[in-house]
Amino acid sequence: MIVKLTRVEVQSRQDLEMIDITEHIERAVAESGVRDGLAWAMTAHTSAGLLVTEGIECLERDVLAHLERLAPKQPPEGSYGYWHNRYLDFDGRLGFNAGDHLKSILGGVNCLFPVENGKLVRGSRQKAYFVEYDGPLARTVFIQVLGNE
Amino acid sequence: MRKPGIDFHTHPLLVREMVARHPELAGAARKTFLIGNNFQPLETFHLELDLAGLEKAVVLPMDASASSGAVVWTNEQIAELCRMSARFIGFASVDPHHADAPGRLRSAVQDLGLRGLKLNPPMQRFFADDALAYPLYETARDLGIPILFHAGMSWEPGSRLQFGHPMRLEEVAADFPGLRIVLAHLAWPWVVEAVALALKYPNVYLDTSALYFDNPRDFLRFAMTQQVPLTVFERSLRKQLVFGSNYPRVEIKNMAAAVEGLGFSEECLNLIFRSNAETLLEAAR
Repeated sequence: MIVKLTRVEVQSRQDLEMIDITEHIERAVAESGVRDGLAWAMTAHTSAGLLVTEGIECLERDVLAHLERLAPKQPPEGSYGYWHNRYLDFDGRLGFNAGDHLKSILGGVNCLFPVENGKLVRGSRQKAYFVEYDGPLARTVFIQVLGNE
Repeated sequence: MRKPGIDFHTHPLLVREMVARHPELAGAARKTFLIGNNFQPLETFHLELDLAGLEKAVVLPMDASASSGAVVWTNEQIAELCRMSARFIGFASVDPHHADAPGRLRSAVQDLGLRGLKLNPPMQRFFADDALAYPLYETARDLGIPILFHAGMSWEPGSRLQFGHPMRLEEVAADFPGLRIVLAHLAWPWVVEAVALALKYPNVYLDTSALYFDNPRDFLRFAMTQQVPLTVFERSLRKQLVFGSNYPRVEIKNMAAAVEGLGFSEECLNLIFRSNAETLLEAAR
């Protein structure tokens, strides 16, 4: 059995952004030597996510807009505040991105695909996205491929 | 339409290329400033500026070598970073306790091309009106460079808040009318005192890089509309206020959005984000 972990750096350029990483996962599968098994990807961060959806720009915008509505960066004025808005001594700064952490939870941080005959198996419209909720930042995605030669 | 602005208060602590060249920078940022963020490629800093509609950033070192032993980037490292990107404006830092402090400053400006002086009295353990620092002020005045003083609250464990009180700057402002003095962080919590100084002394400026609770929007609204009415800044201090983020303690995009959302006129925002910084830096040419 082969188990191979790849780390990929993704540079986001916007505050909120969806970045197609399907090719990264396909490349990791091709380079792993795995014939039949699984490919699993996970973001190393808690204010970013990974998700699978149709790869078209309008839907990318809808995903980001909907998550921003569900977990806004700024708490609605006069209703409630985020507990995370305080000084974090271990981080040398205030926490004021609770909305971005919440988006990460809502959207998820990983995705999983079957591998068959050495290739990633996915629906014809499915794309794997790295989702930035607090960019721009250089981010890390873990891709692990495991299975039989 | 507003011109691309200048962030007058950033620390280049996360620039990965510099940490790779100078590994000691990693420890300095973590130990002294307690910054826990991941190191980032230089491109991320540029993107931060782009996203906030800014063109350039003042990058600051901190030399407390003679007082507390802490050095967070040397003047040479700041100059090296500035050679990597034309978007940075490098300032020097000199610990006033060094006997040759004026010479160090002169060298940083004349040999390295740095364009201002950053002093951090709470970390460098001196009162701004102590005669100890006067030779540095005379040198800065003669060189025509501004001095950015850390003022107000300090998170660093080695610092002492009493050294950051803005009223300790009054004698300096009065004794050096030709010296441009910037009080960082609105000198919070002593915003009223800092505003009083700026109202009285036209050579005293304030930067907006204040965030000590809540979030940038709510904190600045408290400090700049409740502690002091916004009209005071707009009408009386419009030419003495500069945008500063304190990146990476705060992302530039978040602080810029907070300042933009306060309710200033577009004319005043132009001054805060660009023209006042240019005025301060012009003196250094």
